[in-house]
Amino acid sequence: MKVTDLPPGAIGHDGAALMDGAAELAGTALVLARRFATGATLWCVAPGASHHARHVAVEFVHPVIVGKRSLPAMALEDGDDQLGTARLLVRPGDVLLAIGSADDPAVARLLRRGGAWGVETILLAVGAAPSGPSAASADHVLWVGGSDDGALLAYHLLWELTHVVFEHPGLLLAPPPECTDDDACITCSDEGRVVEVRSVTDGHTAVALAGGRPEQVDVSVVDDVAPGDLLLVHAGVALTIVEEDDR
Amino acid sequence: MNDAPPEPTSFLYPFIDAEERDPEGLLAGLVASARQKVGASVRLRTQTLAQCGDELSAAGAAMAARFARGGRLFAFGNGGSATDADALAARFRSPPWGAALPASSLVADRSVITALGNDVGFDLVFARQLIAHARADDIAVGISTSGGSANVLSGFTAAHRQGLLTVGVSGYGGGSMAAGGDVAHCIVVRSESVHRIQEAQDAVLRALWASVQAALPAARDGARSPRRRGERAGKGGEPAGESSTRRRRGAR
Repeated sequence: MKVTDLPPGAIGHDGAALMDGAAELAGTALVLARRFATGATLWCVAPGASHHARHVAVEFVHPVIVGKRSLPAMALEDGDDQLGTARLLVRPGDVLLAIGSADDPAVARLLRRGGAWGVETILLAVGAAPSGPSAASADHVLWVGGSDDGALLAYHLLWELTHVVFEHPGLLLAPPPECTDDDACITCSDEGRVVEVRSVTDGHTAVALAGGRPEQVDVSVVDDVAPGDLLLVHAGVALTIVEEDDR
Repeated sequence: MNDAPPEPTSFLYPFIDAEERDPEGLLAGLVASARQKVGASVRLRTQTLAQCGDELSAAGAAMAARFARGGRLFAFGNGGSATDADALAARFRSPPWGAALPASSLVADRSVITALGNDVGFDLVFARQLIAHARADDIAVGISTSGGSANVLSGFTAAHRQGLLTVGVSGYGGGSMAAGGDVAHCIVVRSESVHRIQEAQDAVLRALWASVQAALPAARDGARSPRRRGERAGKGGEPAGESSTRRRRGAR
């Protein structure tokens, strides 16, 4: 049998998706380096293919190129309550990298909480080209192609580019967030936000995480609020519970 | 001297001196670099699979013969190659298509790895496990980007001594893995970049798995037929691919 006789998909991706996504990859590397510069840890999950998460961790912690700095990255293994483990370990300002299908509920559950936890989220999306609404969304979505070996190339590149950014210390300082009267930004507008319930005080109030910080939320107009629920909040009042597959 | 101008120290920090605050130039460079690396990665994979096609087919046929006789696969490697070993074993056990086959990763049990590493030395973490688990019909697949990882090499030595079929995936010029006599089939990804080597090795491991699947039906027929088993006994019970590879190695 010749290798060229192998069924499609046996050998993997052709690089086209990452060629197209090079600009997004570069922007993600800049953000990742800036987060590392402020003390972030990179948390990695790859439900159903956790060897990828471990590979990302070893890539950053133990660089293959001598002289490159060790950067904090940890894999969150599949198994008992991955979401609960992440909730305990992840700190505001950290970065959460997920590898998998944008339609994977386990991936979506984690990424949906990025805003509430105050973390930057990256999705290395494996599968069909993203089109239309998918279950998972992230601050940075890199489509790696239909085969998960595209993810290997993507996180290798992310590591390489992140270390290039470290050679430019002036660029590691993120510009201050722009916030003017004319230009509404998410932190000061009255736009709806997604928060995660930490504890329910009574039928009327709950404590929820928003941007990594606890705040009081009025839950009198939503029923059966439980810790771990995501709420859509507007001006301190919960309007609805965000529906999730496992809820 | 108090009113002397301060010593200029800006030469120590050329980027700060340049007040590099606009990331656009850097981003353009990163995009170009990413595209160049994607191209290099895809080219190396294509070249490697073309150059190693015959060796991959021979290794796949020999592995299929072992599986048909009830053999099992043990995969091992360090760091990123350890994750490759995990993924390879998982692919054999839970295939996207084809037959599910018995395979284990020797890096999966951290209790065993740390016990062996602490008590007898990290060079023996795979060799000791193979001595404990392996039988003569089994298969050892070792992965190393340098071809020189001491524990992978000692794993192959133990495996070869016990009569296992040994398949190695190496990089750079092949290293000791390709030069030594313990590895029956050694597939070398010829590159100087660890990252590009790993990406091509990933393709090699997928192709190896696929070539086992392709060879398996014939290998199972051969293992079932008493007449054909008698024929093969004259060649040491190994399929033609493995024997011819051994002859080639001996000739070098």
